[in-house]
Amino acid sequence: MVGRYLGVLLLGLVIGLALGYALTGSQARSQDGCLYKPGKFAYPPEEGKEVVIVYGFDANYPPFTLMQPNGTPVGFDVDVMNLIARKYGWKIVYKPWDWSTIVTALENGDIDVIASGMTFNAPRSQKIWFSVPYYSYVHQLVVLREDGRSLDEILNSGEYVAVQIGSTADEWADRLLKAGYNFKKLGLDSYVAALQALLDGRASAFITDSAFLGPYLKRNPQVEAKVRVAGELGAPNVYAIATRPQDKWLRDRINEALEELMDSPVWNELLRKWGLD
Amino acid sequence: MQWKLLDYIPFLINGVPWTLALVCFGLAMGFSIGLPLSVIDTFGSKRVARVIGAYVWFFRGTPLLVLLSLLYWGVLPSLGIKASPFLASVLALGLRSSAYQSQIFRSAFLSIESGQLLAARSIGMSDSQALINVLIPQALRIALPSWSNEYAVMLKDSSICFALGVMEILTRAKYVSTATGLALFPFLIAGILYLVLTQVGVGIAELVHRRFRIPGTVGVSNC
Repeated sequence: MVGRYLGVLLLGLVIGLALGYALTGSQARSQDGCLYKPGKFAYPPEEGKEVVIVYGFDANYPPFTLMQPNGTPVGFDVDVMNLIARKYGWKIVYKPWDWSTIVTALENGDIDVIASGMTFNAPRSQKIWFSVPYYSYVHQLVVLREDGRSLDEILNSGEYVAVQIGSTADEWADRLLKAGYNFKKLGLDSYVAALQALLDGRASAFITDSAFLGPYLKRNPQVEAKVRVAGELGAPNVYAIATRPQDKWLRDRINEALEELMDSPVWNELLRKWGLD
Repeated sequence: MQWKLLDYIPFLINGVPWTLALVCFGLAMGFSIGLPLSVIDTFGSKRVARVIGAYVWFFRGTPLLVLLSLLYWGVLPSLGIKASPFLASVLALGLRSSAYQSQIFRSAFLSIESGQLLAARSIGMSDSQALINVLIPQALRIALPSWSNEYAVMLKDSSICFALGVMEILTRAKYVSTATGLALFPFLIAGILYLVLTQVGVGIAELVHRRFRIPGTVGVSNC
């Protein structure tokens, strides 16, 4: 028995040491006089050297990022990243990533940018830095068309409200619950799954954002006929492209290209193409 | 742009090599660690057996997703190893499988009559010779049905590697579900692919078992 406990203790120590080293290591990195150590893209690359950007995205967010049958991603954000890369002659490597760990992946260097309908907000800005915003949207509470109740009545019904786990809609549900509203949160792994829960009757409402809902309903008129927006929640939010804080050069180039793109007719074509106009 | 589910069938099927690679490497790693562990556990000193017991206890008791995250975000970076999501997934699957496989082989060793070791010694074999020539060949054959079960379990468990973006079957089904707006059918196709892979793998193991089984010894009583 003693040996067994010693073994467990030893394993615990090894894992604890490894985690401790990882945590203290990352602290030490930020205590050498600079706020951040120079990153992979902090300064311009050497003359003639090819810039390869690893582009992280969650392919579960149409029309911003989704997968084609041939296995390559498409969407509004993919088009934007491709146009930015073309302007500077960068090579883009696409890397699909699960949304729940995508910020950590950026911090760790697994990916270099996130352009995947990522909301620019204060908690995220503490870890990752954003480009200029390029799209604004608002959160909406969606119900079945035959449900005539008001937004307040639904949020106090004690019934299920579906959200995508880890999304800003999920944050909204938590905020409403904290404010004393009486409903049950049904967390699912994508906006599509959450909307399906509403259509199936597993949830009475669905919190989403207009950036997903508008284009989705345009592409699926049969769904549009079944649902209605019961109300909007809070002020508009914006999407921006995320980079590591230290990658200033990369962020500056993205900002430059984004502003140029948004001032050109190509931007409206892109919005129209993906049903975001 | 709107694609139909049928357009995505090849995309889904392309997940099969990824899933099989995860399972094959995971099983191979589990075997390479699990078999020596089972030998030490069964025939080694009690003190070492307790340490192995703790290893088995840890890897059998930790959810795969926790193990995967622990390895990819914690242990490997702190050791200065920059592992790809695929490699981290194989490590997590392999380490966990090694704990299960060590117990599969241990039970196989225990099911071999102790007289066989004595008989091997009596004809002049050393313990290691007896182990390599007499016990392990039998244990592997006895363990095969349970080992094929480990394949079936790992096949389905490999789907958890979606968390690191490994493009295996279930990750792809999720993407297809989003792109087509269909919640059921992409997962149904993924389920069918898993069923077929399970059937094929278990079928192959069954064939191997039939070919190599030891007639009259497995499951025989002492009567």
